Parts: sequence; structure tokens; C-alpha cells
Amino acid sequence: MQPVVLIITVLAMAAIAAVFAWAIWAPPGAVDPERAERWRIRTIVALTLAGVVLAAMTLVPWPHAPQAGPTPGIVVHARGYQWYWELDRDTVPAGTPVTFLASTADVTHGFGVADPQGRLLFQVQVIPGYVSRVDWTFDRPGTYRVICLEYCGIAHHEMMGQLTVQPGV
Amino acid sequence: MLAALVFLLLMVFGLLMRAAQGGLVALAPDLFYRILTVHGAGMVGTAGLSGAAIMWFFVNRHVPLSHAVYVAFLALFLAGVVSILGAVFAGGFAGAWTFLYPLPAVSGGAWDPLAAVVFLLGYVAIGVGFLLLHLDIGRALISAWGSIPRALGWPLVFGRGGEAPPPTVIAAMAVTIFNTIGIVVGAAVLISSIVNLVFPGFAVDALLAKNMIYFFGHVFINASIYMAVIAVYEIVPEYTGMPWKATRLFAATWSVVLLFVMAVYPHHLLQDVPLPGWTMVVGQVLSYYSGIPVIAVTAWSLLVYLRRAQSLAWDLPLALLVLGVAGWSAGVVPAVIDAIVAVNRVMHNTLWVPGHFHTYLLLGEVAMAFGFLLRLAAGERFRSFTGFDRTALVLYLAGGIGLVLTFLISGAASIPRRFAVHLPDWQPLALIGAVAASLTVAGALLVVLRALSSPRAREAA
Repeated sequence: MQPVVLIITVLAMAAIAAVFAWAIWAPPGAVDPERAERWRIRTIVALTLAGVVLAAMTLVPWPHAPQAGPTPGIVVHARGYQWYWELDRDTVPAGTPVTFLASTADVTHGFGVADPQGRLLFQVQVIPGYVSRVDWTFDRPGTYRVICLEYCGIAHHEMMGQLTVQPGV
Repeated sequence: MLAALVFLLLMVFGLLMRAAQGGLVALAPDLFYRILTVHGAGMVGTAGLSGAAIMWFFVNRHVPLSHAVYVAFLALFLAGVVSILGAVFAGGFAGAWTFLYPLPAVSGGAWDPLAAVVFLLGYVAIGVGFLLLHLDIGRALISAWGSIPRALGWPLVFGRGGEAPPPTVIAAMAVTIFNTIGIVVGAAVLISSIVNLVFPGFAVDALLAKNMIYFFGHVFINASIYMAVIAVYEIVPEYTGMPWKATRLFAATWSVVLLFVMAVYPHHLLQDVPLPGWTMVVGQVLSYYSGIPVIAVTAWSLLVYLRRAQSLAWDLPLALLVLGVAGWSAGVVPAVIDAIVAVNRVMHNTLWVPGHFHTYLLLGEVAMAFGFLLRLAAGERFRSFTGFDRTALVLYLAGGIGLVLTFLISGAASIPRRFAVHLPDWQPLALIGAVAASLTVAGALLVVLRALSSPRAREAA
């Protein structure tokens, strides 16, 4: 997902920059204020409708796991401390649903898991007094990085752990 | 001028952090995080200060404001800065500008609770100063226009006729309302955190505290941009010869902004899954719609005014003001994309986040503040766009674009934000970012030198 997001973002930013450059450097020309207003309203309407489409495309299905209800696969309890992660199991099989139940012993942490290439798969905030649930099915074996993604003090960058995904049965 | 010098110093801190992440400079992690804290708190505070100075200056042209209140605002700001710097560099506080509860009190032995108390009291002092300023501006606008709805231009919006307030009045009234509410909520969570530090038995719900912190932080930093854009409304017409008109759409948009700025803050909490899902839907949807006023109203109007101007004598202040609106508009894109829940899941708290906020702050708010400073310092329009001015602009723009792009690319590569030490694979992008940051610092330095050499600065000297 990340490379696609980057390309779309940079292209859209470049388009906005191009419009500014055109307005500044294009040869002076007569601008009809009424026509500009008509096009402004059309643009607002178009952007408003595009927002509805974007919301429908990205919010269904709901991206987060249900926070309550049955946990069909393996359950891993992850607990954050300044500055390490404690997992009650550090090995899970590929192809099996895994439910992470993340909590913290001290401050707010961010529970994130990156694949063997370092690409972030998901993250969730871990807040004192609450348990945050993530459901994920790993499709490839390998060594995954467990990382803290919320600043939690002066050794925040050292708060990394490992999760091994073994070939599924 | 003070704000510009502080911006420059804090940019050097930013450069230092990127150089350290790239392995070019050795910074102990605790020092890195202290610099990170000062960079964040300082930049947000100085953006607020410069925005408030712009708003005060131009509102005072329309309605008389209290100079005593403005002096009190500056004195409280200074007291806050002294507290924050003391807490960080003498007390070792490194809890980041967001002071996320309960981190100030639970530092893992890194700093004394007293340092955290002094840091938070610094915020309180600055907040009280802003509150005084907003109350004075609100009082003056209500006195002059009769009521809050009139100052917001509602008679114009609802077709009831009457004189339309100037754009500055409408903007200042809206910002005064939402920033006052934001600061009051911020004060509540600051005081709660201070009480927690002094009496640890007094605990606050961490999720509630986070909501309050991000409501305050989001509203405050947005207020700084919305205050700074008043400089565009007031100064650009001096170049185009056409007044910036408060149309029905303009007034309606500011009332929408007033609501959206406050309602959209849950987009900072899209990974806080214990919250109800509807809050995240609100955060995502309103984030998208918050971008429309920036692009289709402010930027659109600016471009139409520029195109309609018969002869436009470009100089550095105008170029920086236009850059400010362009940077703000372009920054909408990565911000809106990060606010999509499914994207946020893999982009948030990576370097994507400083990528988007540096776009609309470094290339947005700060550019507008620099443009205002130069316009103010010159006393009149610059007579030409000198080679020195062009060099300053090119360095600032090229450095800013380079810095932002390296942040965004790093975010897409899943490199976390706020890491003092980067893995070897991550360091090349940090190094490129450091080079870009050095260009930005050089450009900002030239802008500051230009302001110092201006006629008014020479007269003052």
C-alpha cells in the first residue's frame, strides 16, 4: 500500500504546485470573475462528491478488528514496558488468524509489527488502562519486527522485539 | 523579528536531529529527545506567536486593541519560554511537546518530576497569554460589530444585508472562538497533569487526557495558520490593487472552518481502538472536507486575484506569502491521506507525519510569517526582487521541498518518527534530509538578514 500512497500523494501535491506556477508565470490574460466563481462552485461540488466516494471506498469494510467478541485463532498477549515488549508467545504459524491483545504497564506505547523487509503491516495505540486488539493473519514465514510507534521516553528507539512466523501446517 | 530568529534557531535544531539520525553527528539519545522536545514546543509556540502577532497587527487597524494586553501576552510568552528551556536543558525534561499523559510523571528515571511541572507551567503561562489576547480581540470585535454572529458575517451568509465585516474581522472572530475553547481544554489537561505530578495518587483517564491534549494541540497549531493567513488577506491587495472581499462564500466558509477545526481532531486518534469507531469516521471524513476551504476558497481566491492583477511587481514578501498559501494547500494532501483510517494504520507515527506538517508549517505558516515580517520591516514595498532575495527564496523553497519529500519517502518506507537512533538502512534518507534542511536554514538566514537590513530595522538600530 505504501508505495501507491506515496505516488498518489506526490502527484497530487505536484498538481497543486503546477496550478500555482501557472497562475504566476502564465502570460497575463483576462480573467472573467463570474466564470472563475462558477468554476469554483463546480470544483467544490466535485470535491464534495469525491469525498463521499473516498469514504465509501476506504471505510467499508471497517479497517480495525472488533474490540470485543470471539477470537477465532491464536491469541498473543503483548505488554509494553519502558522500554521493551513482553509477548507471551513469540512464534506463530503462517496462515492462521492471530489476535494480538496489547496492553501497557506504564505509559502509552504504539504496538506495531513490520514484515521481514521492514514494511509496517499494522499498528495500534496501547493506552494505560485499556487493551487494544488487532487481528492479523501472516501469510509468509519469517522474522517480523515488533516496534514501538508512540514516543515513550528516552529509550523509545530501543523498544524493538521479534516475532517469528513459522510455516503453517 | 524575535519569532523569525527563534524559527531560525529551531530550524538549526531540526537540522541537527536529521544529521544525528543520518549518523553524521553524535547526539546522546537523551539530548536528542530534549532537542526534539524544544524543537516541537518551540516551533508550535513560535508559529502561534507569529500568527497572533499578524492577527493583532491587522485587527488593530480595524478596531482599537489594548496595548497593555499585548505586552502582557508577550511577557507571559517569554516567561513560558524561560520555563520550558529551563525544564528541558537544566531539568532534563524530554517528554515531547505533546506531554502525553502519564509520560511527564513516568519518565523511567530520566527526569525529575519538578522539571515536568516547570515545563507544564511554561505551557500554562503561554496559554494564559493567548487567552488574554483572544479575550481582548473578542471584546473589541463584539463591541465594534455588535455580536459574534455579526462579526462572523452571518447576516451576509443568510442574506439579511448589512455591511459585511472585512475578511480580517471574520477570520479573527472565528479563530478567537476556537482557539479560546482549545486553550481552555488544554489548560484543564495541563493542570490535571501538574496535580498528578505533585500528588501521584490523583490519576486521570489516559485516553481522556489524550483526547484533550490532541484537541488542544490540533486547534492551537491550526489557529496559528488561520491567524497567519490574515497577512495574505491584507498584504496581497497592496500588490494587486484589488481588496480581498468578504463574500457570502468567504463568510460561510469561515463558520464551517470554526466547526471543522474543533470537530476533526479525532484524526490524531485513529489507532486508539478503544474509542468508538464513529469518532474515527468523523476524523477521517472531516479531515477530507477541511481541505476544501483551503484549496477551493483561500488558494482559489489568491490565484484569481493574482491572475486579475494588471501588473504585479513581485518582491520577496509577496513571493513568501504566495508560497505560504501554496505550501498550506499542498500540505493538505498528505495530511488528508494520513487521516484515512486504513492508511493511517501503516503511515501514522512514521516520518510521513512530519512530512505533512512540515509542508503546511515550514512551507506554509512560516513562509507567511516571513512574508509579513519583511513587509513590516520594509515599511513599504520592496523596490525590486534582488539577486539576494531570489537566492533566499530558492534556498528556502528547494530545501523545504527536499526536506518534506525525504520525510514522505521515509514514511512510505515505514521509518518511525521520533527515533534518536536510526537503523543503517534508514540513514541515507536522513542524510539527504539533513542536506535539504541545511539549504532551508541558509534560506531562512538570508530572509532574516534581509529583514535586519531593511529601512525600519536600520532606523531602529
